[in-house]
Amino acid sequence: MNFAPETSIDIASAVNRATAPSAESKLKVEKLNFYYGDNHALKNINFDIPEKRVTAMIGPSGCGKSTLLRIFNRMYQLYPGQRAEGKILFDGADLLSKDLDSTVVRSRIGMVFQKPTPFPMSIYDNIAFGVKLHERLSKAQMDERVEWCLRKAAIWEETKDRLHTSALGMSGGQQQRLCIARTIAVRPEVILLDEPTSALDPISTSKIEDLIDELKQEFTIVIVTHNMQQAARCADITSFFYLGELIEVAASNEIFTNPREARTRDYITGRFG
Amino acid sequence: MTEHIVSSFDTDLKELGRSVVEMGGQSERLVADSVHALVKRDTELAQKVIVLDGPVDLLQREIEEKAVLIIARRQPLAGDLREIVAAMRIANDLERIGDLAKNTAKRVLALTGEFHPQKLVRGVEHMSNIVLEQLKVVLDAYATRDEARALEVWQRDGEVDVLYTSLFRELLTYMMEDPRNISLCTHLLFCAKNIERIGDHATNIAETIHYLVTGQLLTEERPKQDTSSLTSVAFPA
Repeated sequence: MNFAPETSIDIASAVNRATAPSAESKLKVEKLNFYYGDNHALKNINFDIPEKRVTAMIGPSGCGKSTLLRIFNRMYQLYPGQRAEGKILFDGADLLSKDLDSTVVRSRIGMVFQKPTPFPMSIYDNIAFGVKLHERLSKAQMDERVEWCLRKAAIWEETKDRLHTSALGMSGGQQQRLCIARTIAVRPEVILLDEPTSALDPISTSKIEDLIDELKQEFTIVIVTHNMQQAARCADITSFFYLGELIEVAASNEIFTNPREARTRDYITGRFG
Repeated sequence: MTEHIVSSFDTDLKELGRSVVEMGGQSERLVADSVHALVKRDTELAQKVIVLDGPVDLLQREIEEKAVLIIARRQPLAGDLREIVAAMRIANDLERIGDLAKNTAKRVLALTGEFHPQKLVRGVEHMSNIVLEQLKVVLDAYATRDEARALEVWQRDGEVDVLYTSLFRELLTYMMEDPRNISLCTHLLFCAKNIERIGDHATNIAETIHYLVTGQLLTEERPKQDTSSLTSVAFPA
């Protein structure tokens, strides 16, 4: 296989087609390189993530897509030996610069993980906990916020009568929607979803996909998924990563019917190996 | 193209493609036989064509069922998805081609005992030779995924249209000359129309092959030269 040192993809035009009329980019990745110690995990990534759209990242395990998601959220800074070079412009400010406070970054760019991670406390407190870190709200305001985000996450009806019971008693799908509610509660601008439905049954998966559709009205969403059909269903834009490189970015309509790159084609049709 | 990790997926796709090729062969045969029956006034062959259209219809249903099953079981994407969409579309065109050949064969039976001057049949025969060639090339183009040859077929259909329009005029003239020609000429006109339609289906198949290979729809207008709908011949005063 031939790996070009630089991914020269006409990203702008693909993104424009998929996102017209509004094609403002919310996150702009420029010449990003990332290292886990000696391991060069992301190689010269240039990538625009448009505002209020769903952008999917697909690729085989170890291709760097989750790494990129974690960089957006600055999680890599928690580990020594991991370093990023390049720029990630978030509304003009460089996410990689030390001047930005990680806590503020994480309140503006929220993340939901593969496994539901509710805190061992009540449903209500699961949400209030994060909000209290950033805002001082009265009891009434907090009640309102909790209801607002539970409604947004399409889980209000199921939880309104048990807000003060433990979140650990909920089903997996409910827990995941609670985690999404918890992420929305601090009113972020970007929501990062790292394989949010891989541990869920088809009905819970559908509910979360429906939710993603709903949320993109207000939030910019980036989703990492191993489920190609899910990317095809949910995402406006899909990007394919392989061995740390961004191989192709295109409107999902195009990439799943007529990908330009042979490597993308082989991957999405199950021919890799 | 490399093979799928799930090898039974390759088997499914190959089988689907094979069925389409087989169906193509059968439809081609029906068209050739129907024209032959018309020219030679061979009612036995015409009967055969009518009977043999059944298996073609059956194949079309089989292809459709197979394709639906593959979609349901494999959730095909990209080239695989186009492969399946193409198989379904081509099977539809081939089924229609079979029906048109059958209709021509039925007319051969209706013409038994009619006054049958060879020169009237000649024009239809000439037109069908071109259409049969078109059909052959387009089916080869499918088998070899040869988009360039498919495009040739697509561009060449205008020639068939021109022939059809001139045949239309010619048959009208014969009808005016001698009312005894009317029955034969009307049937011949329908046969010519059938053959012209078969040519159209061949170009549909060419469009499908273009989509299958390139992933792009052929959006430009096909060169059309069938003006028979606008043609009239004045009755000699």
